[in-house]
Formats: sequence, C-alpha cells, structure tokens
Amino acid sequence: MTGYLLRRLPSAFGVLLLASFVIFLVLRAVPGDPAATLAGSDSSPDAVAAIRHDLGLDRPLFAQYGTWLADAVRGDFGRSYLIGGSVSDLLGQRIGNTVELTLGALLFAITLGLVCGVLGVTVKNRIGQTLLSAFNSLSLVVPGYVTGFLLVFAFAVTWRVLPPGGHESILADPQIGFQYLLMPALALALPTAAVLARYVKDGLEQALGEDYSRTAKSLGIPPRRLLWRHALPNALPPVLTALGMQVGVLLGGAVVVEAVFAWPGLGTLAEQAVTRRDYPVVQALLLFLVAVFVAVQLLTDIAYALLDPRVRLG
Amino acid sequence: MSVPAFATSRRTVLRAAGAGAVALGLTACKSAVDDRKSQSAGAGGSAAPKRGGTLQIGALTDFTPALLFTQSSSFFLPRLVFNTLTAYDPKTLAPQPQLAKSWQVAPDGTSVALQLREGVKFHTGRPFTSDDVVFALANLKEPKRSAQLRATAAVVTDVDVKSPTELTLRLAHPVSNLFDLFEFMIIPDKETIDDALTGKKLVGTGPFVFKSWTPGASLSFARNPDYFVPDRPYFDGVEVRIIGQSDALVAALRSKQVHLALGLGGRDLQPVKDDKQFAVTQFDTGNGAWYVGANVSVKPLDDKRVRQAVSYAVNRDRIVQQGLAGFGLASSAPWPKSSPAYSDATAKRYAYDPAKAKALLAEAGAGNLDLPLAYLSSAQQLAQMVQFDLQQVGIKTTLEPLDPAKFQTQLIGQTMPALWVGAHGFAQLHPSTLAVSAYPFNEAKNTSKFSDPRYTEIVQRAWQQVDADSPTARAAYQDLTEVLLDQQFVIDLVVLAQLYAATGDLHGVTQNQFASTVLDDAYLA
Amino acid sequence: MTAPATFLPGPVPAAAARKRRVRNRYLRGLATPRGIIGLALVGLVLAAGLAAPLLTSYDPNFQTADALLSPGSGGHPWGTDELGRDLLSRLLYGIRADLLVVLAGVPIAALAGCSLALLATAHRAADVAVQRLFDLVLSFPGLILGLTVTAVMGVGRGTVIVVIALVETPGFGRLLRGAILVHRDREYAVAARVGGAGPLRLLTRHVLPNAADPVVVHFALAMSVAVILEGAMSFIGIGIRPPEAALGATLAASRPYLEDHPAYALGPLVVITALVVGLNLIAEALNRGARR
Repeated sequence: MTGYLLRRLPSAFGVLLLASFVIFLVLRAVPGDPAATLAGSDSSPDAVAAIRHDLGLDRPLFAQYGTWLADAVRGDFGRSYLIGGSVSDLLGQRIGNTVELTLGALLFAITLGLVCGVLGVTVKNRIGQTLLSAFNSLSLVVPGYVTGFLLVFAFAVTWRVLPPGGHESILADPQIGFQYLLMPALALALPTAAVLARYVKDGLEQALGEDYSRTAKSLGIPPRRLLWRHALPNALPPVLTALGMQVGVLLGGAVVVEAVFAWPGLGTLAEQAVTRRDYPVVQALLLFLVAVFVAVQLLTDIAYALLDPRVRLG
Repeated sequence: MSVPAFATSRRTVLRAAGAGAVALGLTACKSAVDDRKSQSAGAGGSAAPKRGGTLQIGALTDFTPALLFTQSSSFFLPRLVFNTLTAYDPKTLAPQPQLAKSWQVAPDGTSVALQLREGVKFHTGRPFTSDDVVFALANLKEPKRSAQLRATAAVVTDVDVKSPTELTLRLAHPVSNLFDLFEFMIIPDKETIDDALTGKKLVGTGPFVFKSWTPGASLSFARNPDYFVPDRPYFDGVEVRIIGQSDALVAALRSKQVHLALGLGGRDLQPVKDDKQFAVTQFDTGNGAWYVGANVSVKPLDDKRVRQAVSYAVNRDRIVQQGLAGFGLASSAPWPKSSPAYSDATAKRYAYDPAKAKALLAEAGAGNLDLPLAYLSSAQQLAQMVQFDLQQVGIKTTLEPLDPAKFQTQLIGQTMPALWVGAHGFAQLHPSTLAVSAYPFNEAKNTSKFSDPRYTEIVQRAWQQVDADSPTARAAYQDLTEVLLDQQFVIDLVVLAQLYAATGDLHGVTQNQFASTVLDDAYLA
Repeated sequence: MTAPATFLPGPVPAAAARKRRVRNRYLRGLATPRGIIGLALVGLVLAAGLAAPLLTSYDPNFQTADALLSPGSGGHPWGTDELGRDLLSRLLYGIRADLLVVLAGVPIAALAGCSLALLATAHRAADVAVQRLFDLVLSFPGLILGLTVTAVMGVGRGTVIVVIALVETPGFGRLLRGAILVHRDREYAVAARVGGAGPLRLLTRHVLPNAADPVVVHFALAMSVAVILEGAMSFIGIGIRPPEAALGATLAASRPYLEDHPAYALGPLVVITALVVGLNLIAEALNRGARR
C-alpha cells in the first residue's frame, strides 16, 4: 500500500505544480492592470506606476513566480491587493461560507434523497409514481439559478418569509443564519437529492428482492419493519459512495447559487478577484480548487486500490 | 403592504408548507425578514435627540483598505473613525472648524496658518498634534496612496511647526481648492498606518472606534467616549453589514433589519420610495456624474462638431427617468446644483435635439459611422441607452463591455476606443478640483488625448486663485465651463444623486462633500 | 436500473447490417414517450427561435419610450423591459443567440475530445499528458473557468463558445477513451487482430463503431450542460454582448421587477427549463435505445 501511495503522490504533486505554473502565466496574460483598479477612477498614470512598484509587479515574471511559489510552499499566499489582509485568512473565511452552504445543501439532499427514494419503493399507485419520477427528473436537470429564482419568487417576493439573498454566519446567529441558508441550500441540494434518491430506490429494490427479504416476508415480518430495519441499512453503502462523488458537483454548483443569492463564498470571491486582477487571491483560489480535485482523485484511487489488489500491484 | 400583514402570512405559509416545528419555532422568535421592534415605540412621535442604541447599516459594497485615502465607494467609513481639518457647511460651502480650530490665509495666498483643537486624542489615547497633520500631508503626497487630491497636497511644499497646536503650511502657489483638500484629508494615527492599510486596525480621532472587520460580511464600531464634541455621538455603536445585492439590501431595509441602506440606486428604491415608514434622502453631491468620453485622436471624433452631435443625440432626461428612476440631474455640465459654477443655462446647453445632431454630423461630413463604445460591465443599461440614442441619429456603435481592471487600465493608459461611457467625480467642490483631480479632465494628460493651450490656461487660472469666491475666480469657472461645453471631449450626461434610504425613526444623518457618511448627530427616535 | 455511464456492447454483427441496426436502435429509443416529449420540447423551443421574425414584428433592440415595464398590454403580448424593449421579441431572439452558441461549442468539444481520446489510446506517453490536461480542466468549476477565460478574451460570443468547448472536451475525451479501451480487448477485436487486421482498420471497422454509442448519448447531455453554462455566464454578465438578447442576461435583469412584472423572469425560466429537460429526455431515450 505504501508503495502504491509513493507511486501516486509524485503525479499528484506534478499536477499541482503544473497547475501553479499555468495559473500564474494565464493570469499575467490577462489584459488589465491590478494597480489600475487599485488606483481608482480619477487617478493618474504615475500613481499607477507607483502602486505597480509597491506590489512588485515591475519585477521580471519568473522572479515573481519563484517568490510566489517559494512562499506558497511555506503556506504563505501573500496579501490581497484589494482587501489588504492575508490571502489565507480571506480564503479560509470564504471557504467557510461555501462549506456552510454545501453542508446545508448536503443535509437537504440526504433528507430529500432518502424520502424520495423510500417513497419510490413504497408508493404503488401509478399517478404517485409518475409524479415522483417527474419531480426527480426535474430536480436532477434544472439548473440552480432557475430553482433559485423560483424560490426567490415564491418565498421572498410572493410571500415575504425569507430574505432574497445575503448571508449571516450560522455560527454567529443560528436563527437568522438559518433563514439566509434555507433557499440557497435547497436550490443547491436538488440535483444531488435526485441522484441520491435514485441510488436509494435501486438499493432498496435490490435488497427487497434478496433471498433473506423473501424469507423474512414469508415469516410474517411486517413490510414496514422489513424496509426500515433490513432493506435500508443494506441499501446505504452505495448511497454513501455516491454522496462522496457528489461533493465536487456541489462545490461547482455553489458558484452559481452564490451568484443568485449574493452569498459571500468562493464563487463571489472568484468573480471579484478575477475582474479586479487581485492576483494573489486568484492564484491561491484556483490552486486550492486544483488541490481539492487532486485530493479527491487520490482518495478515490486509494479506495479502489484497497478494494482491488490488482491496481495496487500492477 | 404593511409589515404586520406579512408577519401573519409568514406563519400561515410555513404551516401550510409543513416546514416543521423547527422552522416554526425559529421564525416565531426571530425572523430575517420580520419587523425589528421599532425603537420609536415609547417616544410618542417626538424627535428629540436620544442617547444610546446601535445603528444598523446595510451597505452594498465592502470597505477596501487599499482605497482608504482615496474617495472610494466605502462611504460609511472615513468620517466614522476619522476627522478632517475643516468641514464645509453643506449650504454655503464655507469651511467650518473641525480638527483645525481657526486658520489664516496669507494675503498673497502662499501660506496658511492653522491653529489646532486642543485636547483631541486618537482612539489609542495618544494626543493629536501638529505632527499628525504633517504626516497626513506627506501620506497623501505619496503616489501609491492614489489620493485624487494629491495635486493639491503637492502644492504644500513646506510646513513650519510652531507648537503642538500651531503650524503654517507654505504653498508653491495660491490654490483655490485648499479647503477641498482639508475636507478630503482624513487624519490617521501615524503609528498604526500599516495596519490601517490592511484593514486590521483603523485609528483616528472620530466619533466611533473601529472594532472589527470581516471582509465581505460586516464591520463593527463602538462609541468613542472621548470624542472632542461634547455629548456626541448619540449611538453606542454602529454595525455595518455588507449585503452585496440590491434587492436583498432593500428587503433588509423593508424588514428593518437595517436602519440605513447605503449605495442603492433610484431604481432599487422603488419599493420603499412612497412608503411613509421609510425616508429616502437625496444629496446632490458626491456620487459623481455619468459621461460619454470621446477619444479625440480617432476620426471623426477629432472634429468637435461630431462630439457636439453626440451630446445633442443623447436623451439625458430619459436616462434620469429610466435609468435612475428620477433621482439625478440631467446636465451637460459636470456641476451639481450646489457648485459655484452651476447654471441652468449650461446644464441645458445640449438639450435633446436629434435633428441638430444630424445636421452637425452632416456639416462635419461624418456619415456611415460605426464606432466602438466601451463601458464598465456594470453600466450595461446606461451603455444600451446611449447606444440606442446614437443609433437614432445615424451613429452605429458596437458595445464593448470591460471588467473593472480593463476599464481602469484603458482609462488611465489612454487606450480607450472612440467612445466610452463612465463616471467621474470631483465636480462637487471648487470647480478647479475637477480639472486637476479627475483624470478624464486633466489638462496635461487625459483619456481623451485632448490638449489645448487655452484649456490649460483656463484650468491653471481657475486653480491658482487666492480667493475661491472672488469675481475673477467666478469668471475663471465660467470660462472653464464654456471650454468644456464647447470642446465636449467629456460629454456629461447626468449628475448622480447620493441616496440614503432609512427607516423613518432615523434622524440627523448627513454626509460631507466627499460623500462620507457623518453620524455625529444621528439618533433613532 | 444501471447507472447511465455503463454501456453493454451488443453481439458483433457484420458491418453493414450493424450500421442499420444502430440507426434503428436510436430511432427506437427516440420513439418512446420519453423521447417524444424530449423531442417535442426541444423542437418547440427551436422552432420558436427559428420563426422569431414571423412570430413578432418588434426589433428586439428597439427601445420605445411610451411603454416601460408594461406587463403584457396592447401591442406587447409579453410586456416590455425597463428600457421599453419588447420582451417576447427579446426572448425569441435570445433563443437564437443561445442555441447558436451551444451548437457551435458542443461539436467543437466533441471533435476535440474525441481527437484527444484517439491520441491518448494510441500512445502511452500521450495518454498521461492528455489525462493530466483533462484533470486540470476538470478541477475548476465551469463558471470559474468561464470567468478566467473571459478575463483573457473579453466578453463576447466567441468567449462563450470557447468556454463551452473547454469545459465539455474532457467529458467526451474520457468517455471515448474508456470505450475504446474496453472494446479493444473484447473477443471480436482480438479475433480481428489475430486475423491480420492492421491497427487502423481495427480501430475504424471494429472498435470505433461500437465505442461511438456513449459519445452519441453524451452529445445530447453535453448540449444541456452547454445551455446551462451559457445561461449562467450571461446571468453573471459574461455571456453574449448586449444589446443582443440572451436568456441568462434577461433573467438577471428581471430580478428587481419580480414583484410587479413576473412575466419578465418567467420567459427565460420556462425556455431554459424546457431546453434542459428536453435534451436530458432525449439523452435518456437514446441511452435506453442503445442499450437494448
């Protein structure tokens, strides 16, 4: 196992290094000067030049890259041009907000997925089945900004029960924070919920078709008990695997949902930093996303390796 | 719709939706859209100033520490934490004492003696002295601070410090906008300046003490118990929440989660405009003006008749009505009504006249025009309105949306295409400030690549006046307006209004001439 | 039910007969209720877009001064926007603009993805390079990639097409690569190789026709992803350039008027949903047909 890990790790770091280089170069190729945005709309060219010098942007590119990489390896991602504070702090705070949204969505997705999945097995009449399957299909494919808009229309405009956007940390003020979280989390959760519902339903159907289920049924165990106590626990492991794969989907979807609900997470930070050329922030943020992706891939590979010795040895 | 009505509907809906006991329990005690307990309950409608309470502000844009010494969009911060040397009376534009107690300008206008207020302390407890003024001036002169009034600060060549409360500024030449500089220049604590520029710690002498900032989320301020104005401020604290979406900010105001909403445009405020529970206050200074810029090095815009045609072709009143819901002043001159250079005649010089525009184009021999029109991607509506109006007189344009970095780079780098729409500031004070501080108007080097010895002469003459209100000064302002209106390299469209939307129980909120919110006398009652 | 990603290859038929059967399988898949609804939804939207000049007499960019934000009255059946432009006309022309971008971006992605997959299966070193390249692209959420590419290229139709192509290329590439690897080792391919078929003939005659199924199905899915992506990009203001109408941009602009003028937002919401749902139904129908 250690041998396998040792073989996989360099490639993972290779992707990260490649990414750091590509990100750095692409950003510098972008027209538009961060110093100019900092200088403000009525400023003069010499003010911009002074700011460029102050930020070290007048140094040769490779020297800039070297400094940045060396600092990054030590965990120092520099300071945001625009916001001033350390990039790590800023990113940490925004990641926290995105994680809050994603976790909220995950809770919704699990609840909805379980409910719809179980209903899929227990609802027997045709109309119910059709409705359920239509709901699932719609949830799966309708984009987050469409559901987000419909939710805003329903719960922030027609009945004013929830705020149409914004954020309040759920840790700082659980009651208010919860209300800000509800709509974006739901909009983000629906596609994942549909995927989970499908897995739950398939798993349940399979488990209920197994020999022990039929035996239990013939022994007179009530169907409800059979479903909850026997079939569901057996159906869950593949659902959990599917859940793991959905984390990436949720992160990607969060970017769009954040835009609809003015949620101050990674997506809004990315937009702000990219359009104002806040290089340190963009670099760290993109590199973070690559790191997450690489880590998830690595974990998946390791899981496969654990399950399948051929991969480990081959 | 009255607020209590939707409080009931909230519960019915949640019940109907079966949102469960948890949600009901939570919303029953506190709601993000519900009416906050009105603070005016026991006051019986009296509006006498009242001590105490915390003011909740909602702001559309966050504070940007790097822009602390510029005029930026974080309106709420500078005058909460900091003070300036003098402050204009908003009606007369006469400077009033603030950190400076009194002053004497030498007859030849080349030196100013200042006497500072005694007993003023920074929030750290350190006394405020002449050295802090020296530091603030030097700080503003640094190009990297990109303070728009740097040109005026640079005129101060030398400072004689006589005592901790007395100093004399020596000027290279007389300037008419010296008190604009004093209004603009916040006095920071020099010992913590580095922390101020990263937003960690902001130390000034102002009515509120900076407590914390969470980027993208909130700022928190506490009352300064040692503020030099006795018994002020009234509030115990100020909390600012950043709500980066206009409809969410309006919703927060409507539900009285915030008492004061900053940064909203006229169109955003439609839902509360006619609601008696809220007050929308309009300041005609400080939010700048929308304009169409013309690059005079591009044919046929090198011909001033073509630029004048553009000016006649744009329907300014429509922009005010449709784009700003009526808040704003349609004007072909840059000045707001409070400016000494303002006149009705110059504001209406280029009244909407498509026929005249066509005639001017024909006269200049400019036909079949297809020009690029750049704009900041957030100004989409304005750009589309200008494009449509220009099309009606036969000027076809292709819109080029630019993100902030590109827009700014091209603006400062003189690489704007034939036409662009943008916003400029600095027309609200002494007219010369515009021409020496706003880059689009700069006589030496500007985005339009416009240069004209006559313009330079007028700008310098307007700037180097000893007495800003003398008849010669006024004549110079008049000349400045005329040359701008004749040349039209910057085609002004609308002077924007700064809007404060507040709950009806908030009183005493004002702003200085640079649109910094002043809460010294604000209270809830 | 099996997850959509697995494709069980059928028995090995002779080339000509198989070609016909392949076509029949797709047709049979589309002739199910699912397929028909999907085709109808997409067809309706497509027809509305194509027939835009017949369905409305308004120029989508004409700003009338006398009807602002009017909710469906008089000459404007769907109302007007805040600049006095006819909303129905903007919706119909918005469909055109959207579909144009999608129909340009997805084929480019399919072509690029498939070429890279062929390259990857041809050589081991190329495989590693291509895989890492796909990893790099896949590690960014589509919209963040869109923001970055827009910063480089500027806002415009070309940028959206590039972003769609970029985001969708790895999907096609990975799918075809996987399918080729599977089919290359199946008995019939091995048999053909033993029978003396060269690598090119093996690929074109035996492996590719069988590996094409998932790509065809993915094409419909990729279209729906492209519709969503285009919508999201114009929603945050980095889509097609104004004044040209785009569905996402109309949706974003409608936000302040949800209360007084809900039809404004309803148009793009309905169209985007119909397109996405229709394309997904088609993909599902094709998939079922292919697996039969």
